[in-house]
Amino acid sequence: MHHQFKSPEGPIEVTIARDGGVWRLGDIEANPMADGRLRMVGPDGSVNFAHLAKVGDVWWVHHQGHTFKLERIEPGATDTDDGGGLTAPMPGKVLQVLVEVGQSVEAGTTLMVLEAMKMEHRIVAASDGIVTAVHFNADDQVEQGVELLSLEDS
Amino acid sequence: MVSKVLVANRGEIACRILRACHEAGLATVAIYAQNDADSMFIELADEAVLLTGNTIGETYLDQQQILSIANQTGADAIHPGFGFLSERADFARAVTQAKIQWVGPSPEAIEKMGDKMTARITMRAAGVPVIPGEEIEHEDETDALEAIESASHRVGYPMLLKASSGGGGKGMRAVHSPEQLIEAAMGARREAIAAFGDGRVYVERLLTGSKHVEIQVLADRHGRTIHLGERECSVQRRHQKVFEEAPCATMTPELREAMGQAAVAAAEAVDYEGAGTVEFLLAPSGEFFFLEMNTRIQVEHPVTELVTGVDLVREQLRIAAGEPMSCGPLMMRGHAIEVRLYAEDAANNFLPAIGPLAVFRPPEGPGVRLDTGVREGDEVTPNYDPMLAKLIVWAPSRDEALQRMRRALDEFIVLGTTTNIRFLRELCDEAEVISGRTDTTTIDRLWPHGWTPSVPRSIEDAALMAAAVGESAGLHRTQHQASKGPEGPASPFSTLNRRFP
Repeated sequence: MHHQFKSPEGPIEVTIARDGGVWRLGDIEANPMADGRLRMVGPDGSVNFAHLAKVGDVWWVHHQGHTFKLERIEPGATDTDDGGGLTAPMPGKVLQVLVEVGQSVEAGTTLMVLEAMKMEHRIVAASDGIVTAVHFNADDQVEQGVELLSLEDS
Repeated sequence: MVSKVLVANRGEIACRILRACHEAGLATVAIYAQNDADSMFIELADEAVLLTGNTIGETYLDQQQILSIANQTGADAIHPGFGFLSERADFARAVTQAKIQWVGPSPEAIEKMGDKMTARITMRAAGVPVIPGEEIEHEDETDALEAIESASHRVGYPMLLKASSGGGGKGMRAVHSPEQLIEAAMGARREAIAAFGDGRVYVERLLTGSKHVEIQVLADRHGRTIHLGERECSVQRRHQKVFEEAPCATMTPELREAMGQAAVAAAEAVDYEGAGTVEFLLAPSGEFFFLEMNTRIQVEHPVTELVTGVDLVREQLRIAAGEPMSCGPLMMRGHAIEVRLYAEDAANNFLPAIGPLAVFRPPEGPGVRLDTGVREGDEVTPNYDPMLAKLIVWAPSRDEALQRMRRALDEFIVLGTTTNIRFLRELCDEAEVISGRTDTTTIDRLWPHGWTPSVPRSIEDAALMAAAVGESAGLHRTQHQASKGPEGPASPFSTLNRRFP
């Protein structure tokens, strides 16, 4: 069976095979257990248990002390991530807008200051660019995930 | 006499206090805002009363409302926990005037220590060393900025701007060069006004390379003021403590005695009563300077409890009831470490995270203590502080305590909300942490450009496979029923029994 998950470097394809009650990927083996965990047997025969939970489209996996958040791409879905957008990481209030439309900024420049959970958070340019839009003013409330400003790479 | 305690707090610390009250045989009252209606602490109280109002100011900070609940329920003591109203002298005074016992020091002591500038002046008078710096009393922005600018020449760079009413890193800014001064001062004032309604900011020399070492004190009404040794809390991020331990790895018996005596002198200078913490900066030279006194129970109090065997919250209750404290001479045994688990994305500039606690499975086993106010199934919301839990371990030596902490963090499973567990786990592998040579700049120096996890490829591959198997095998449909026991696959006989009684 074939699944796709999002990653910062683009979609990752995972193909697993079923062999009776056991699933295989290369020489890793996974056995579903009655409590929803997976008993994972590595190439060297080592046994570890993976804990899973699905929230929305995201699979949360805990394996060997690491936690992974793997967003599944539904078959047939197109990737609509346009990049370049700067979105609110949390619901909060805009404290300061430090740039204006048309301004050139360098990577690392603070563009906006938000207040969320009683702390200030800086929205910072990830790359050099030109501000093409500013969607909020100081004191505006913003929801999580909304685009705050637009930046075009220069 | 104290017989019924109202806990004017929520979350983890409310749970801690409510449990101590039960153990002491005291009746309890919890208060809660509507958005806490399903929170764990309510279940630990004998009675729980809903606060009207929506904001924190209208609920957990509403003094009149809390006092009238205390009267209605017949509570004869109020324990404020930490944060919220715990260091509000006006509340302590109102509680006392209502003939209710305040679990904490007098309003006068809170006032003298709560205003950081007054505290510096009081400590200087009591012969306790303070950090070189200047108090600035101006409230007007223009005057204050001018005075800060003028003080900056005498104090010198790098310096720290601190809100006089501050705490928890709010209203604090490090300034490394004159160009940053005005923006930093405005930022500190803005945060201080928002958080405390008081924009006064003072200037201190920034003592780089120093350790944050604090002394726990206890004072009762029977003439005893003692210290319970130190905690080291140098590992901080944005002035928020992350990793705390007792004892301090580089402490000597002589220095402990000197700092302990200074802490006792600080407490006695304000006629202190109850549990408190005197915070010091310990410079590489071995000199120490008073930072501030927290006139309440502290987040990291469990590490002291584990190495001294003293139950600090029980002692608070005992002292508030007018009894003498029960501790004997100071005995420190073994080593304890606490880490603070936050709902935050450590790999993304530590942004607070929200979401469901779809799986919340804390570690168990010898020497492991968990103080939390959440359980599996709860929702992490942006309404309150993102601290989920404190994980505390004890072991006979510091090395073993670190080993135990690594093991415990590896076992800790939280799914559905991003946490800093992996960050804390990798912190335990850093050479500075292993050697105990941490200082307050450790995190900034180790990860100047932010932290990213190092994940072995094989583990990532296995995780991707696990998610794919989860999807194909439909594990998301089965796992929660299965893990809940009675609702899981039951024996056919018990099913028959239930269906046909």
